[in-house]
Amino acid sequence: MSLLFERRAGATDRKLSLGQRIASWWISHMRQATASLGDLWRTPGPSLMTMLVLGFSLSLPAAFYLVSKNGAQVAANWDNPAQISVFLKKNVAINHVEKLVAELQQWPTVNQVDWYSKDDALIEFKETSGFGNALNYLDSNPLPDVLVVEPAAAQQTASAAEALANELRQLDAVAMVKLDIEWLERLNAMVSVVEDTLIALATLLCFSVVLVIGNTIRLSIVSRKTEIEVMKLVGATDQFIQRPFLYAGVWYGVFGAFLSWIVTTLLLWWIESAINTLTQLYDYPIVLEGLQPNESLFLVIIASGMGLLGSWLSVQQHIRAIEPTS
Amino acid sequence: MIRFDNVDKVYSSGHHALKNVSFHLKKGEMAFLTGHSGAGKSTLLKLIALLERPSHGNVFINGHSLNTVTRRNIPLVRRDIGIIFQDHRLLTDRPVFDNVALPLVIEGYPHQEIRKRVAAALDKVGLLDKERLLPSMLSGGEQQRVGIARAVVNKPPIILADEPTGNLDPALSMEILRLFEEFNRVDVAVLIATHDLGLIARMRYRTLTLRDGHMINDGLIAEHQL
Repeated sequence: MSLLFERRAGATDRKLSLGQRIASWWISHMRQATASLGDLWRTPGPSLMTMLVLGFSLSLPAAFYLVSKNGAQVAANWDNPAQISVFLKKNVAINHVEKLVAELQQWPTVNQVDWYSKDDALIEFKETSGFGNALNYLDSNPLPDVLVVEPAAAQQTASAAEALANELRQLDAVAMVKLDIEWLERLNAMVSVVEDTLIALATLLCFSVVLVIGNTIRLSIVSRKTEIEVMKLVGATDQFIQRPFLYAGVWYGVFGAFLSWIVTTLLLWWIESAINTLTQLYDYPIVLEGLQPNESLFLVIIASGMGLLGSWLSVQQHIRAIEPTS
Repeated sequence: MIRFDNVDKVYSSGHHALKNVSFHLKKGEMAFLTGHSGAGKSTLLKLIALLERPSHGNVFINGHSLNTVTRRNIPLVRRDIGIIFQDHRLLTDRPVFDNVALPLVIEGYPHQEIRKRVAAALDKVGLLDKERLLPSMLSGGEQQRVGIARAVVNKPPIILADEPTGNLDPALSMEILRLFEEFNRVDVAVLIATHDLGLIARMRYRTLTLRDGHMINDGLIAEHQL
Protein backbone atom coordinates (compact mmCIF):
# COMPACT_ATOMS: atom_id res chain seq x y z
CA MET A 1 0.00 0.00 0.00
CA SER A 2 1.36 3.36 -0.88
CA LEU A 3 0.54 6.31 1.32
CA LEU A 4 1.51 9.07 -1.08
CA PHE A 5 0.85 7.55 -4.49
CA GLU A 6 -2.72 6.44 -5.05
CA ARG A 7 -2.20 4.27 -8.08
CA ARG A 8 1.10 2.72 -7.11
CA ALA A 9 0.62 -0.97 -6.46
CA GLY A 10 2.54 -2.63 -3.68
CA ALA A 11 2.39 -6.31 -2.87
CA THR A 12 -0.56 -5.88 -0.57
CA ASP A 13 -2.69 -4.17 -3.21
CA ARG A 14 -2.86 -7.04 -5.62
CA LYS A 15 -6.13 -8.86 -5.79
CA LEU A 16 -5.88 -11.82 -3.47
CA SER A 17 -8.62 -14.04 -2.15
CA LEU A 18 -9.01 -14.31 1.61
CA GLY A 19 -7.57 -17.82 1.49
CA GLN A 20 -4.48 -16.64 -0.37
CA ARG A 21 -4.04 -13.80 2.09
CA ILE A 22 -4.20 -16.12 5.09
CA ALA A 23 -1.87 -18.56 3.36
CA SER A 24 0.68 -15.87 2.58
CA TRP A 25 0.44 -14.47 6.13
CA TRP A 26 0.99 -17.96 7.48
CA ILE A 27 3.88 -18.67 5.14
CA SER A 28 5.57 -15.39 6.02
CA HIS A 29 5.26 -16.12 9.75
CA MET A 30 6.57 -19.66 9.31
CA ARG A 31 9.47 -18.27 7.30
CA GLN A 32 10.34 -15.78 10.02
CA ALA A 33 10.00 -18.40 12.74
CA THR A 34 12.44 -20.72 10.97
CA ALA A 35 14.72 -17.79 10.16
CA SER A 36 14.97 -16.80 13.79
CA LEU A 37 15.63 -20.42 14.71
CA GLY A 38 18.45 -20.31 12.19
CA ASP A 39 19.80 -17.13 13.83
CA LEU A 40 19.91 -18.92 17.19
CA TRP A 41 21.71 -21.82 15.53
CA ARG A 42 24.32 -19.46 14.08
CA THR A 43 25.20 -18.04 17.50
CA PRO A 44 25.17 -21.28 19.52
CA GLY A 45 27.31 -19.99 22.41
CA PRO A 46 25.12 -17.24 23.88
CA SER A 47 21.91 -19.02 22.84
CA LEU A 48 22.92 -22.18 24.63
CA MET A 49 23.87 -20.27 27.78
CA THR A 50 20.48 -18.57 27.85
CA MET A 51 18.68 -21.85 27.25
CA LEU A 52 20.60 -23.52 30.08
CA VAL A 53 19.72 -20.69 32.47
CA LEU A 54 16.07 -21.02 31.44
CA GLY A 55 16.16 -24.79 31.68
CA PHE A 56 17.50 -24.77 35.24
CA SER A 57 15.24 -21.92 36.33
CA LEU A 58 12.17 -23.67 34.96
CA SER A 59 13.10 -27.08 36.34
CA LEU A 60 12.76 -25.78 39.89
CA PRO A 61 9.06 -24.82 39.55
CA ALA A 62 8.49 -28.04 37.59
CA ALA A 63 10.13 -30.10 40.33
CA PHE A 64 8.07 -28.27 42.99
CA TYR A 65 5.00 -29.11 41.04
CA LEU A 66 5.93 -32.79 40.86
CA VAL A 67 6.65 -32.91 44.60
CA SER A 68 3.29 -31.41 45.48
CA LYS A 69 1.50 -33.61 42.94
CA ASN A 70 3.05 -36.79 44.30
CA GLY A 71 2.51 -35.55 47.85
CA ALA A 72 -1.18 -35.09 47.18
CA GLN A 73 -1.34 -38.57 45.71
CA VAL A 74 0.26 -40.10 48.78
CA ALA A 75 -2.17 -38.20 51.04
CA ALA A 76 -5.11 -39.45 48.97
CA ASN A 77 -3.96 -43.03 49.47
CA TRP A 78 -4.18 -42.66 53.21
CA ASP A 79 -7.37 -43.29 55.12
CA ASN A 80 -10.36 -41.23 54.40
CA PRO A 81 -9.66 -38.05 56.35
CA ALA A 82 -13.17 -37.88 57.82
CA GLN A 83 -13.39 -41.37 59.26
CA ILE A 84 -14.78 -41.52 62.78
CA SER A 85 -13.63 -44.28 65.10
CA VAL A 86 -16.27 -45.21 67.65
CA PHE A 87 -14.96 -47.25 70.62
CA LEU A 88 -17.75 -49.13 72.36
CA LYS A 89 -18.00 -49.88 76.05
CA LYS A 90 -16.52 -53.27 76.96
CA ASN A 91 -19.68 -54.82 78.37
CA VAL A 92 -21.81 -54.34 75.29
CA ALA A 93 -23.20 -57.62 74.00
CA ILE A 94 -22.66 -58.78 70.45
CA ASN A 95 -26.32 -58.72 69.49
CA HIS A 96 -26.54 -55.16 70.84
CA VAL A 97 -23.58 -54.16 68.69
CA GLU A 98 -25.25 -55.75 65.67
CA LYS A 99 -28.39 -53.70 66.34
CA LEU A 100 -26.34 -50.53 66.77
CA VAL A 101 -24.55 -51.08 63.48
CA ALA A 102 -27.85 -51.65 61.71
CA GLU A 103 -29.27 -48.51 63.31
CA LEU A 104 -26.32 -46.34 62.37
CA GLN A 105 -26.55 -47.55 58.77
CA GLN A 106 -30.00 -45.96 58.65
CA TRP A 107 -28.75 -42.52 59.65
CA PRO A 108 -28.83 -40.13 56.66
CA THR A 109 -25.55 -38.58 57.80
CA VAL A 110 -23.76 -41.92 57.68
CA ASN A 111 -22.48 -43.53 54.56
CA GLN A 112 -21.02 -46.75 55.87
CA VAL A 113 -20.26 -48.48 59.15
CA ASP A 114 -17.50 -51.08 59.49
CA TRP A 115 -17.43 -53.18 62.60
CA TYR A 116 -14.13 -54.45 63.90
CA SER A 117 -15.07 -56.93 66.59
CA LYS A 118 -12.90 -57.16 69.68
CA ASP A 119 -12.17 -60.85 69.06
CA ASP A 120 -10.92 -60.23 65.55
CA ALA A 121 -8.88 -57.31 66.80
CA LEU A 122 -7.23 -59.43 69.45
CA ILE A 123 -6.29 -62.12 66.93
CA GLU A 124 -4.83 -59.54 64.61
CA PHE A 125 -2.99 -57.89 67.46
CA LYS A 126 -1.50 -61.23 68.50
CA GLU A 127 -0.29 -61.87 64.99
CA THR A 128 1.23 -58.51 64.26
CA SER A 129 2.46 -57.19 67.59
CA GLY A 130 4.84 -59.97 68.47
CA PHE A 131 3.34 -60.24 71.98
CA GLY A 132 1.46 -63.41 70.89
CA ASN A 133 2.25 -65.68 73.83
CA ALA A 134 2.16 -62.96 76.43
CA LEU A 135 -1.36 -62.09 75.40
CA ASN A 136 -2.50 -65.64 76.11
CA TYR A 137 -2.06 -64.92 79.81
CA LEU A 138 -4.73 -62.26 79.79
CA ASP A 139 -7.96 -63.21 81.54
CA SER A 140 -10.19 -61.34 79.23
CA ASN A 141 -9.96 -59.46 75.97
CA PRO A 142 -8.85 -55.89 76.85
CA LEU A 143 -9.81 -54.54 73.43
CA PRO A 144 -13.16 -52.88 72.76
CA ASP A 145 -15.39 -53.30 69.74
CA VAL A 146 -14.71 -50.56 67.26
CA LEU A 147 -17.07 -49.14 64.68
CA VAL A 148 -15.50 -47.13 61.90
CA VAL A 149 -18.11 -44.69 60.69
CA GLU A 150 -17.71 -43.02 57.35
CA PRO A 151 -19.88 -39.92 57.11
CA ALA A 152 -22.08 -39.33 54.06
CA ALA A 153 -20.56 -37.25 51.30
CA ALA A 154 -22.29 -34.07 52.53
CA GLN A 155 -20.80 -34.52 56.02
CA GLN A 156 -17.18 -34.78 54.90
CA THR A 157 -16.24 -31.27 56.02
CA ALA A 158 -14.48 -30.94 59.34
CA SER A 159 -17.37 -29.18 61.11
CA ALA A 160 -20.06 -31.58 59.85
CA ALA A 161 -17.92 -34.58 60.81
CA GLU A 162 -17.41 -33.02 64.23
CA ALA A 163 -21.19 -32.64 64.64
CA LEU A 164 -21.71 -36.28 63.70
CA ALA A 165 -19.03 -37.31 66.18
CA ASN A 166 -20.87 -35.39 68.92
CA GLU A 167 -24.10 -37.19 68.07
CA LEU A 168 -22.32 -40.53 68.30
CA ARG A 169 -20.91 -39.55 71.72
CA GLN A 170 -24.49 -39.28 73.03
CA LEU A 171 -25.13 -43.01 72.43
CA ASP A 172 -25.21 -45.23 75.56
CA ALA A 173 -23.00 -47.97 74.21
CA VAL A 174 -20.23 -45.59 73.17
CA ALA A 175 -17.19 -45.18 75.36
CA MET A 176 -15.12 -42.85 73.16
CA VAL A 177 -15.33 -41.23 69.76
CA LYS A 178 -12.22 -40.25 67.89
CA LEU A 179 -12.30 -38.08 64.85
CA ASP A 180 -9.29 -38.84 62.65
CA ILE A 181 -9.37 -35.39 61.14
CA GLU A 182 -7.29 -33.26 63.46
CA TRP A 183 -3.86 -34.53 62.65
CA LEU A 184 -4.74 -34.43 58.95
CA GLU A 185 -5.83 -30.84 59.30
CA ARG A 186 -2.49 -30.02 60.83
CA LEU A 187 -0.69 -31.88 58.10
CA ASN A 188 -2.75 -30.10 55.44
CA ALA A 189 -1.98 -26.75 57.02
CA MET A 190 1.72 -27.53 56.96
CA VAL A 191 1.55 -28.78 53.41
CA SER A 192 -0.25 -25.63 52.32
CA VAL A 193 2.41 -23.44 53.97
CA VAL A 194 5.08 -25.34 52.10
CA GLU A 195 3.07 -25.12 48.88
CA ASP A 196 2.56 -21.37 49.25
CA THR A 197 6.28 -20.91 49.76
CA LEU A 198 7.02 -23.00 46.70
CA ILE A 199 4.48 -21.06 44.62
CA ALA A 200 6.08 -17.78 45.70
CA LEU A 201 9.53 -19.11 44.79
CA ALA A 202 8.27 -20.44 41.48
CA THR A 203 6.71 -17.06 40.67
CA LEU A 204 9.99 -15.30 41.42
CA LEU A 205 11.84 -17.77 39.21
CA CYS A 206 9.35 -17.17 36.39
CA PHE A 207 9.96 -13.43 36.72
CA SER A 208 13.67 -14.02 36.43
CA VAL A 209 13.08 -16.18 33.35
CA VAL A 210 11.19 -13.30 31.73
CA LEU A 211 13.98 -10.89 32.61
CA VAL A 212 16.73 -13.22 31.39
CA ILE A 213 14.98 -13.63 28.04
CA GLY A 214 14.35 -9.88 27.84
CA ASN A 215 18.01 -9.18 28.44
CA THR A 216 19.20 -11.75 25.90
CA ILE A 217 16.89 -10.26 23.29
CA ARG A 218 18.14 -6.77 24.18
CA LEU A 219 21.73 -7.87 23.55
CA SER A 220 20.79 -9.41 20.25
CA ILE A 221 18.93 -6.22 19.22
CA VAL A 222 21.97 -4.12 20.11
CA SER A 223 24.30 -6.42 18.18
CA ARG A 224 22.08 -6.09 15.10
CA LYS A 225 21.64 -2.32 15.34
CA THR A 226 23.14 -1.65 11.91
CA GLU A 227 20.91 -4.22 10.30
CA ILE A 228 17.84 -2.75 11.99
CA GLU A 229 18.81 0.73 10.78
CA VAL A 230 19.11 -0.52 7.21
CA MET A 231 15.73 -2.23 7.45
CA LYS A 232 14.13 0.96 8.74
CA LEU A 233 15.75 2.92 5.92
CA VAL A 234 14.16 0.72 3.28
CA GLY A 235 10.72 0.98 4.87
CA ALA A 236 10.38 -1.80 7.43
CA THR A 237 7.81 -1.21 10.15
CA ASP A 238 8.69 -1.79 13.79
CA GLN A 239 6.30 -4.75 13.75
CA PHE A 240 8.19 -6.37 10.90
CA ILE A 241 11.57 -5.82 12.56
CA GLN A 242 10.47 -7.09 15.95
CA ARG A 243 8.89 -10.31 14.73
CA PRO A 244 12.10 -12.40 14.48
CA PHE A 245 13.06 -11.25 17.99
CA LEU A 246 9.67 -12.26 19.34
CA TYR A 247 10.06 -15.65 17.70
CA ALA A 248 13.54 -15.96 19.21
CA GLY A 249 11.99 -15.35 22.64
CA VAL A 250 9.45 -18.09 22.01
CA TRP A 251 12.20 -20.47 20.86
CA TYR A 252 14.21 -19.74 24.00
CA GLY A 253 11.12 -20.64 26.01
CA VAL A 254 10.52 -23.86 24.08
CA PHE A 255 14.12 -25.05 24.39
CA GLY A 256 14.24 -23.95 28.02
CA ALA A 257 11.12 -26.02 28.71
CA PHE A 258 12.64 -29.01 26.92
CA LEU A 259 15.82 -28.76 28.99
CA SER A 260 13.88 -28.38 32.21
CA TRP A 261 11.86 -31.45 31.28
CA ILE A 262 15.09 -33.43 30.97
CA VAL A 263 16.42 -32.01 34.25
CA THR A 264 13.23 -32.82 36.19
CA THR A 265 13.09 -36.32 34.74
CA LEU A 266 16.68 -36.94 35.85
CA LEU A 267 15.92 -35.39 39.23
CA LEU A 268 12.88 -37.58 39.68
CA TRP A 269 14.81 -40.69 38.73
CA TRP A 270 17.48 -39.82 41.28
CA ILE A 271 14.98 -39.06 44.07
CA GLU A 272 13.02 -42.21 43.31
CA SER A 273 15.93 -44.44 44.22
CA ALA A 274 16.27 -42.61 47.54
CA ILE A 275 12.53 -42.82 48.22
CA ASN A 276 12.45 -46.52 47.41
CA THR A 277 14.74 -47.24 50.36
CA LEU A 278 12.50 -45.13 52.57
CA THR A 279 9.25 -46.71 51.44
CA GLN A 280 10.67 -50.20 51.87
CA LEU A 281 11.27 -49.34 55.51
CA TYR A 282 7.66 -48.20 55.86
CA ASP A 283 6.32 -51.11 53.83
CA TYR A 284 4.37 -48.63 51.79
CA PRO A 285 5.16 -48.61 48.07
CA ILE A 286 5.17 -45.15 46.49
CA VAL A 287 5.52 -44.82 42.76
CA LEU A 288 6.61 -41.30 41.78
CA GLU A 289 4.77 -39.94 38.81
CA GLY A 290 6.68 -37.79 36.31
CA LEU A 291 5.32 -35.08 34.03
CA GLN A 292 2.44 -36.39 31.94
CA PRO A 293 2.20 -35.44 28.23
CA ASN A 294 -0.42 -32.77 28.92
CA GLU A 295 1.63 -31.35 31.78
CA SER A 296 4.74 -31.29 29.57
CA LEU A 297 2.74 -29.44 26.94
CA PHE A 298 1.61 -26.99 29.60
CA LEU A 299 5.24 -26.46 30.60
CA VAL A 300 6.18 -25.71 26.99
CA ILE A 301 3.25 -23.32 26.56
CA ILE A 302 3.99 -21.46 29.80
CA ALA A 303 7.70 -21.24 28.99
CA SER A 304 7.15 -20.01 25.44
CA GLY A 305 4.59 -17.53 26.79
CA MET A 306 7.19 -16.19 29.18
CA GLY A 307 9.69 -16.08 26.33
CA LEU A 308 7.25 -14.07 24.28
CA LEU A 309 6.58 -11.71 27.19
CA GLY A 310 10.29 -11.17 27.87
CA SER A 311 11.16 -10.49 24.27
CA TRP A 312 8.08 -8.30 23.82
CA LEU A 313 9.09 -6.11 26.76
CA SER A 314 12.59 -5.82 25.35
CA VAL A 315 11.49 -5.21 21.77
CA GLN A 316 9.01 -2.49 22.75
CA GLN A 317 11.78 -0.58 24.41
CA HIS A 318 14.75 -1.05 22.16
CA ILE A 319 13.60 -1.39 18.56
CA ARG A 320 11.70 1.86 18.72
CA ALA A 321 14.77 3.58 20.08
CA ILE A 322 16.92 2.69 17.06
CA GLU A 323 16.57 5.42 14.47
CA PRO A 324 18.59 5.37 11.27
CA THR A 325 21.02 8.18 10.58
CA SER A 326 22.45 8.61 7.15
CA MET B 1 6.86 15.38 -7.14
CA ILE B 2 9.11 16.78 -4.37
CA ARG B 3 8.36 20.31 -3.22
CA PHE B 4 10.10 22.26 -0.46
CA ASP B 5 8.15 25.24 0.86
CA ASN B 6 10.19 27.69 2.97
CA VAL B 7 11.85 24.89 4.86
CA ASP B 8 14.05 25.60 7.88
CA LYS B 9 15.92 22.99 9.82
CA VAL B 10 17.56 23.77 13.13
CA TYR B 11 19.13 20.81 14.95
CA SER B 12 18.81 20.51 18.69
CA SER B 13 22.50 21.36 18.87
CA GLY B 14 21.57 24.81 17.51
CA HIS B 15 23.08 24.18 14.08
CA HIS B 16 20.94 25.92 11.48
CA ALA B 17 21.29 23.46 8.60
CA LEU B 18 18.67 24.72 6.13
CA LYS B 19 17.44 28.29 5.83
CA ASN B 20 14.21 29.06 4.01
CA VAL B 21 14.74 26.51 1.23
CA SER B 22 12.15 26.26 -1.54
CA PHE B 23 12.26 24.26 -4.75
CA HIS B 24 10.14 21.91 -6.79
CA LEU B 25 11.39 18.75 -8.45
CA LYS B 26 8.83 17.59 -10.97
CA LYS B 27 7.73 14.10 -11.82
CA GLY B 28 10.37 12.35 -13.89
CA GLU B 29 12.89 15.10 -13.37
CA MET B 30 16.55 14.45 -12.60
CA ALA B 31 18.63 16.97 -10.67
CA PHE B 32 21.91 17.33 -8.82
CA LEU B 33 22.14 18.74 -5.34
CA THR B 34 25.49 20.27 -4.66
CA GLY B 35 27.38 22.46 -2.24
CA HIS B 36 30.40 22.21 0.04
CA SER B 37 30.30 19.73 2.88
CA GLY B 38 28.12 20.97 5.71
CA ALA B 39 26.04 23.11 3.36
CA GLY B 40 22.92 21.09 4.12
CA LYS B 41 22.80 18.50 1.32
CA SER B 42 22.40 15.54 3.65
CA THR B 43 19.86 17.37 5.79
CA LEU B 44 17.77 18.09 2.70
CA LEU B 45 17.76 14.41 1.71
CA LYS B 46 16.98 13.38 5.30
CA LEU B 47 13.91 15.61 5.30
CA ILE B 48 12.58 13.86 2.19
CA ALA B 49 13.18 10.38 3.64
CA LEU B 50 11.70 11.48 6.98
CA LEU B 51 14.93 10.78 8.80
CA GLU B 52 14.48 14.31 10.13
CA ARG B 53 11.52 16.66 10.42
CA PRO B 54 11.64 20.32 9.31
CA SER B 55 11.70 22.94 12.08
CA HIS B 56 9.63 25.21 9.93
CA GLY B 57 7.95 24.99 6.52
CA ASN B 58 6.62 22.08 4.59
CA VAL B 59 7.96 19.26 2.44
CA PHE B 60 5.48 17.82 -0.05
CA ILE B 61 5.72 14.56 -1.95
CA ASN B 62 3.15 14.15 -4.69
CA GLY B 63 1.11 16.94 -3.06
CA HIS B 64 1.03 15.32 0.39
CA SER B 65 2.62 17.25 3.23
CA LEU B 66 5.13 15.10 5.08
CA ASN B 67 4.30 17.05 8.26
CA THR B 68 1.04 15.13 8.42
CA VAL B 69 2.73 11.72 8.24
CA THR B 70 2.65 10.03 11.65
CA ARG B 71 5.56 8.07 13.03
CA ARG B 72 3.68 4.86 12.32
CA ASN B 73 3.39 5.70 8.64
CA ILE B 74 7.01 6.73 8.06
CA PRO B 75 7.94 3.23 6.77
CA LEU B 76 5.21 3.49 4.13
CA VAL B 77 6.69 6.77 2.85
CA ARG B 78 10.17 5.25 2.71
CA ARG B 79 8.87 2.43 0.53
CA ASP B 80 8.12 5.01 -2.15
CA ILE B 81 11.65 6.35 -2.05
CA GLY B 82 14.72 4.44 -3.18
CA ILE B 83 17.70 5.72 -1.22
CA ILE B 84 21.32 5.14 -2.21
CA PHE B 85 24.02 5.81 0.36
CA GLN B 86 27.65 6.69 -0.02
CA ASP B 87 28.60 3.93 2.42
CA HIS B 88 26.20 1.49 0.66
CA ARG B 89 24.45 0.44 3.88
CA LEU B 90 24.37 -3.22 2.91
CA LEU B 91 23.80 -6.12 5.28
CA THR B 92 27.33 -7.50 5.38
CA ASP B 93 26.37 -10.97 6.59
CA ARG B 94 23.79 -11.59 3.86
CA PRO B 95 24.42 -12.41 0.22
CA VAL B 96 23.75 -9.92 -2.54
CA PHE B 97 20.41 -11.52 -3.35
CA ASP B 98 19.07 -11.09 0.20
CA ASN B 99 20.22 -7.48 0.28
CA VAL B 100 18.41 -6.59 -2.91
CA ALA B 101 15.33 -8.59 -1.90
CA LEU B 102 14.97 -6.81 1.46
CA PRO B 103 12.48 -4.10 0.39
CA LEU B 104 10.29 -6.76 -1.29
CA VAL B 105 10.43 -9.08 1.72
CA ILE B 106 9.40 -6.16 3.91
CA GLU B 107 6.43 -5.46 1.67
CA GLY B 108 5.46 -9.12 1.76
CA TYR B 109 5.86 -10.05 -1.90
CA PRO B 110 5.45 -13.74 -2.72
CA HIS B 111 8.60 -15.76 -3.22
CA GLN B 112 8.43 -16.18 -7.02
CA GLU B 113 7.79 -12.47 -7.50
CA ILE B 114 10.81 -11.64 -5.32
CA ARG B 115 13.07 -13.94 -7.39
CA LYS B 116 11.86 -12.37 -10.61
CA ARG B 117 12.23 -8.77 -9.51
CA VAL B 118 15.60 -9.22 -7.81
CA ALA B 119 16.94 -10.92 -10.92
CA ALA B 120 15.68 -8.02 -13.04
CA ALA B 121 17.24 -5.41 -10.75
CA LEU B 122 20.56 -7.25 -10.55
CA ASP B 123 20.55 -7.69 -14.31
CA LYS B 124 20.09 -3.96 -14.75
CA VAL B 125 23.18 -3.18 -12.66
CA GLY B 126 25.13 -6.05 -14.24
CA LEU B 127 25.56 -8.21 -11.14
CA LEU B 128 23.29 -11.11 -11.96
CA ASP B 129 26.14 -13.61 -11.67
CA LYS B 130 27.13 -12.37 -8.19
CA GLU B 131 23.84 -12.83 -6.34
CA ARG B 132 25.22 -15.53 -4.04
CA LEU B 133 28.31 -13.56 -2.98
CA LEU B 134 28.63 -11.57 0.24
CA PRO B 135 29.03 -7.80 -0.18
CA SER B 136 32.55 -7.97 1.25
CA MET B 137 33.62 -10.09 -1.75
CA LEU B 138 32.68 -7.27 -4.13
CA SER B 139 34.57 -4.15 -5.18
CA GLY B 140 33.43 -0.68 -4.05
CA GLY B 141 31.74 0.03 -7.36
CA GLU B 142 29.96 -3.33 -7.29
CA GLN B 143 28.75 -2.73 -3.73
CA GLN B 144 27.41 0.64 -4.81
CA ARG B 145 25.54 -1.08 -7.63
CA VAL B 146 24.04 -3.58 -5.18
CA GLY B 147 22.78 -0.56 -3.22
CA ILE B 148 21.28 0.84 -6.40
CA ALA B 149 19.60 -2.46 -7.24
CA ARG B 150 18.09 -2.51 -3.75
CA ALA B 151 16.84 1.07 -4.15
CA VAL B 152 15.08 0.39 -7.45
CA VAL B 153 13.89 -3.18 -6.92
CA ASN B 154 10.37 -2.15 -5.89
CA LYS B 155 10.19 0.49 -8.65
CA PRO B 156 9.82 3.59 -6.45
CA PRO B 157 8.72 6.87 -8.09
CA ILE B 158 11.55 8.73 -6.32
CA ILE B 159 15.26 7.93 -6.07
CA LEU B 160 17.57 9.80 -3.72
CA ALA B 161 21.30 9.30 -3.89
CA ASP B 162 23.75 10.65 -1.31
CA GLU B 163 27.23 10.93 -2.83
CA PRO B 164 26.73 7.78 -4.91
CA THR B 165 30.04 8.24 -6.70
CA GLY B 166 31.99 9.35 -3.64
CA ASN B 167 34.68 6.70 -3.68
CA LEU B 168 34.64 5.74 -7.34
CA ASP B 169 36.91 6.64 -10.21
CA PRO B 170 35.49 8.79 -13.03
CA ALA B 171 34.75 5.87 -15.35
CA LEU B 172 32.78 4.00 -12.67
CA SER B 173 31.04 7.23 -11.63
CA MET B 174 29.91 7.77 -15.17
CA GLU B 175 28.62 4.20 -15.36
CA ILE B 176 26.53 4.75 -12.25
CA LEU B 177 25.20 8.06 -13.51
CA ARG B 178 24.13 6.33 -16.72
CA LEU B 179 22.11 3.93 -14.57
CA PHE B 180 20.31 6.84 -12.95
CA GLU B 181 19.57 8.28 -16.37
CA GLU B 182 18.00 4.97 -17.33
CA PHE B 183 15.65 5.05 -14.34
CA ASN B 184 14.92 8.69 -15.01
CA ARG B 185 13.78 7.76 -18.50
CA VAL B 186 10.92 5.70 -17.01
CA ASP B 187 9.54 8.77 -15.21
CA VAL B 188 11.35 8.32 -11.91
CA ALA B 189 12.33 11.54 -10.13
CA VAL B 190 16.04 11.39 -9.28
CA LEU B 191 17.86 13.69 -6.87
CA ILE B 192 21.61 13.15 -6.57
CA ALA B 193 23.61 14.89 -3.85
CA THR B 194 27.24 15.19 -4.90
CA HIS B 195 30.25 17.47 -4.76
CA ASP B 196 31.72 15.92 -7.87
CA LEU B 197 31.54 19.13 -9.93
CA GLY B 198 33.20 17.62 -12.97
CA LEU B 199 30.44 15.04 -13.15
CA ILE B 200 27.73 17.68 -12.87
CA ALA B 201 29.32 19.71 -15.64
CA ARG B 202 29.47 16.75 -17.97
CA MET B 203 25.88 15.66 -17.36
CA ARG B 204 24.19 19.04 -17.70
CA TYR B 205 21.14 18.47 -15.57
CA ARG B 206 19.32 20.91 -13.32
CA THR B 207 21.53 21.68 -10.33
CA LEU B 208 20.41 22.85 -6.92
CA THR B 209 23.24 24.51 -5.02
CA LEU B 210 23.30 24.99 -1.27
CA ARG B 211 25.62 27.29 0.64
CA ASP B 212 25.39 27.54 4.44
CA GLY B 213 21.84 26.29 4.32
CA HIS B 214 20.64 28.74 1.66
CA MET B 215 19.59 27.61 -1.79
CA ILE B 216 21.77 29.92 -3.87
CA ASN B 217 21.27 28.46 -7.32
CA ASP B 218 18.46 26.50 -8.92
CA GLY B 219 19.04 25.60 -12.50
CA LEU B 220 21.68 24.76 -14.99
CA ILE B 221 25.00 26.25 -14.06
CA ALA B 222 27.86 26.79 -16.39
CA GLU B 223 31.23 25.33 -15.56
CA HIS B 224 32.98 28.67 -15.11
CA GLN B 225 30.62 29.69 -12.32
CA LEU B 226 31.64 26.81 -10.10
